[in-house]
Amino acid sequence: MNMLRVKGRVRGWFSRPANVILLIFFVTLVFLTLYPLLSLLTETVTIHTGREARAAKEAAGTVSLYHFQRLFATAENDYSWIQFYQPFLNTLTVSLSSSLIAIAFGGVVAFLVTRTNLRYKKFISAVFTFPYIMPAWTLALFWETFFKNVNIGLKTSNGIMASVFHFFMPEWFVYGAFPIALVLGLHYAPFAYILIGGILRNMDANLEEAATILKTKRARIIWRITLPIVKPAMLSTFLLVFASSMSAYSVPVFLGSPVRYYVLSTKMKSLMDSYPGQAYIIVGVMILFGVAILLLNQRVTNSRKQFTTVTGKSGQISRINLGKANRPVALLLVIILLMVAVVPLVTFAMESVIVKAGDYSPANMTLDFWIGTNLDQRLDQGDSTGILLNPKVWNALGFSLGLAVTCALVAGTSGILVGYGVAKRRGSRLADMVNSLSFFPYLMPSLAFGAIYLSMSSSFPWLRGFLLLALVGSVKYLPFASRSGVNAMLQLSGEIEEAAVITGVPWWKRMLRVIFPIQKSTFLSGYLLPLVSCMRELSLFVLLVPTSNTILTTMLMQYSEKGWAQFGNAINLLIIVVVLLINFIVNKLTGASIDKGVGG
Amino acid sequence: MPEIRLKNVTKRFGKFVAVDNLNLDIESNAFITLLGPSGCGKTTTLRMIAGLETPTEGSISIGDQVVFDAEKGINLPPNKRDVGFLFQNYALWPHMTVYQNIAFGLENLKWDKKRIRQRADELLHMLHIEAFENRYPSELSGGQQQRVAIARTLAPGPKVLFMDEPLSNLDAKLRMEMRTELKRLHKDTDSTFVYVTHDQLEAMTLSTKICIMNGGVLQQYAPPLTMYNAPANLFVADFMGNPTMNFIDCKVKAEGDRAELSFGDVGCVFHAKGEIRLKGDTCVLGVRPEFVRIGGEGHPATVYSTLPAGMETTVKLNVGDNLLTAVVFGDVDYPADSQVHFSFTDRAILFDREDGGKSAAEGTVKLL
Repeated sequence: MNMLRVKGRVRGWFSRPANVILLIFFVTLVFLTLYPLLSLLTETVTIHTGREARAAKEAAGTVSLYHFQRLFATAENDYSWIQFYQPFLNTLTVSLSSSLIAIAFGGVVAFLVTRTNLRYKKFISAVFTFPYIMPAWTLALFWETFFKNVNIGLKTSNGIMASVFHFFMPEWFVYGAFPIALVLGLHYAPFAYILIGGILRNMDANLEEAATILKTKRARIIWRITLPIVKPAMLSTFLLVFASSMSAYSVPVFLGSPVRYYVLSTKMKSLMDSYPGQAYIIVGVMILFGVAILLLNQRVTNSRKQFTTVTGKSGQISRINLGKANRPVALLLVIILLMVAVVPLVTFAMESVIVKAGDYSPANMTLDFWIGTNLDQRLDQGDSTGILLNPKVWNALGFSLGLAVTCALVAGTSGILVGYGVAKRRGSRLADMVNSLSFFPYLMPSLAFGAIYLSMSSSFPWLRGFLLLALVGSVKYLPFASRSGVNAMLQLSGEIEEAAVITGVPWWKRMLRVIFPIQKSTFLSGYLLPLVSCMRELSLFVLLVPTSNTILTTMLMQYSEKGWAQFGNAINLLIIVVVLLINFIVNKLTGASIDKGVGG
Repeated sequence: MPEIRLKNVTKRFGKFVAVDNLNLDIESNAFITLLGPSGCGKTTTLRMIAGLETPTEGSISIGDQVVFDAEKGINLPPNKRDVGFLFQNYALWPHMTVYQNIAFGLENLKWDKKRIRQRADELLHMLHIEAFENRYPSELSGGQQQRVAIARTLAPGPKVLFMDEPLSNLDAKLRMEMRTELKRLHKDTDSTFVYVTHDQLEAMTLSTKICIMNGGVLQQYAPPLTMYNAPANLFVADFMGNPTMNFIDCKVKAEGDRAELSFGDVGCVFHAKGEIRLKGDTCVLGVRPEFVRIGGEGHPATVYSTLPAGMETTVKLNVGDNLLTAVVFGDVDYPADSQVHFSFTDRAILFDREDGGKSAAEGTVKLL
């Protein structure tokens, strides 16, 4: 009797698709995220072969707390200071300032676009997400090529600012904390714009009007009413930008390393080759940081002050009249956006056609790096053909595209399923855990994530090449997809599915014919974001690719390391154009957009 | 005491005319209701008076101050108009406690702390929400939020109070209760109330005068009972009263203040209070359900359905092609399809469709 009841209960539990989905994802995600974490922990207490074993004076494979002691508490030659504390402080500085820049810039623009009668709104909101769609290093590379000069950094050559305008920027402006924070801030400002803009757009205008009626001054309304209400969105932005900036690798490499300004991510990369144990500890510190911010974020947003869901007549938003300030503010924004989003592209195009660096006269220009042949006889520049005639480039492009599409399909579909399961079983412990687990990869620095999977793959011989890259990419981008999936599902009333259940429509058909079509554009955004991110991903794959010619981004890295600047710039431009094109086509065809993926 | 005056106020959103050439005088101390179906321009009108919306044309004055004049380019911002506004969704600030919500407006007026405390306590007590002083809005029920919103609006003691469907988010029982309290509040605060609703019963029971609108155009502006008994046109007659008035298309022979009407095989005679102004030989006879009697002498009819509600019973009758509604007091039940006799007992109105449904005459009607 009792046995029967238990059996019935179990069968009942499993008859709900949401439960089965959650269980499957729970098990898979535990393996794909917690297992790497565990292996990370073991690495931090294991002595590795080579220099590490020699330095520790212990046999390889020994379990020891040597790495901790060495990294955290070695006063000799300021070792700990140089290897850990200084980069740690730098990371804090850079991540904090970039978060503040992103929130301030993105938030102000979001406010201007949603709440005022600003001019050129359409252009501004269209171009504002560009910096995020483009690879982060784009801006960094642009900053460097634009402002560098022979007096600072590697002292190699003059950029456009120095050679054309004869303006020699000081070092702090071109390299170090300032440009890194600024570039990252600008790159992630779209997050703030999308998240804060979403709240501002949906915020009940009556809340502000109620204050106006009670004789509140404009500034006080913004300070006491508007800001507190967008606070949760600002905190979410802070979490995303801080975590992303902390794990950003390419930007500090381009703008920090030339002047020996290291952050945790670049330090980790340089330690990885010789002292992997210490590198893994740094990874752990970074993850701890991410988790701490995540917990803080949850605490603050789950407080008593949450929003009442009664909606009013919000269609009647009264927009602030900017008056005389309108045109100057709009023009300033347009100029900034052009600088951030369009000028870099022009610069890369320029840099990819000049023969001798620093000389921007027409006589010095050639299309050889794009479509030339027999280049090795004429130029001292590696490959013999321009990149558009180079089969290696086309192979890499094909591989990159294939990889991006695969990751997008896997991550996007998983995201929808996770969203379905979490929304249907909202509040249950399993749903909460799957929800957190699916966000966890976001907090793992890409480079470290790649490193861990590399070490994991040694235990699974079949996990190599494309399969390994696709798996890493899918897991890493799952957070985007699951966020938009959960958001899409939460917006959907349960009755819509129940109406189909009553008439006996099977589960897969309900998903395909009822749920997916209704939230199509949000779901598709869950595919688009991984696709775009994967296309321009470097740090996640850099350790995992079989050869550096495998994907476009590592190829770019290799070319710029070898100093083949023109090829590098050409490939960079190729990547950006492909990514923008994909984004544009998908957006036009399906209505999916990056902002829906992030904001939901 | 402020008197609110709207002159030729028009509001256009692009090509859409939300409010069309509205003229309205609101006496001081009145409780005015703007009534109409959704999209009729009533909320827009209210928001224009409050200053939350800018009219396209016309002028508005509150008391002896012109707060808006399109020609003279006067447009006082809402915070300079000395008004209170109660929003449909309450618009309580989610990040402030009940006390902070109430005190916020007083802080803006630079009141000292002690005085704010005093005034807030007064309001908390008046609206029976002392116990929730330190709670956040999300921790309150709909009715409690409503009270907090009222307290917040009343705190600075506005002489004019605007309310935008404040009861529509409450359940039926609570709505009834709040109606009583709003009416009491109107008396106690000595202010002018302008109230927006689409609920005719709310308008009937609360207001001193109702302004009924349709498609941005004022239909009638009159005290509730006048509007009920002498509606200006078919729209007003149809909107006021529940169950709705019977509208019967008739052939008519009118002469002076007397008219002979016929519909189907029913004939009746109408005595008007004044002259009957009809353009053609047809009209619409409007009879309130309470003036349709069942039983006794009369014309035969078939019962279509009976809806007993305890205190009264609504009976639907088939008379030829017409479906008439009658209200009978007490719980009488008529089986469906049974035969009864009906007659008209008292008041009726004639409307002229050819004249845009305008009221043509008021009077009494009797079956022949």
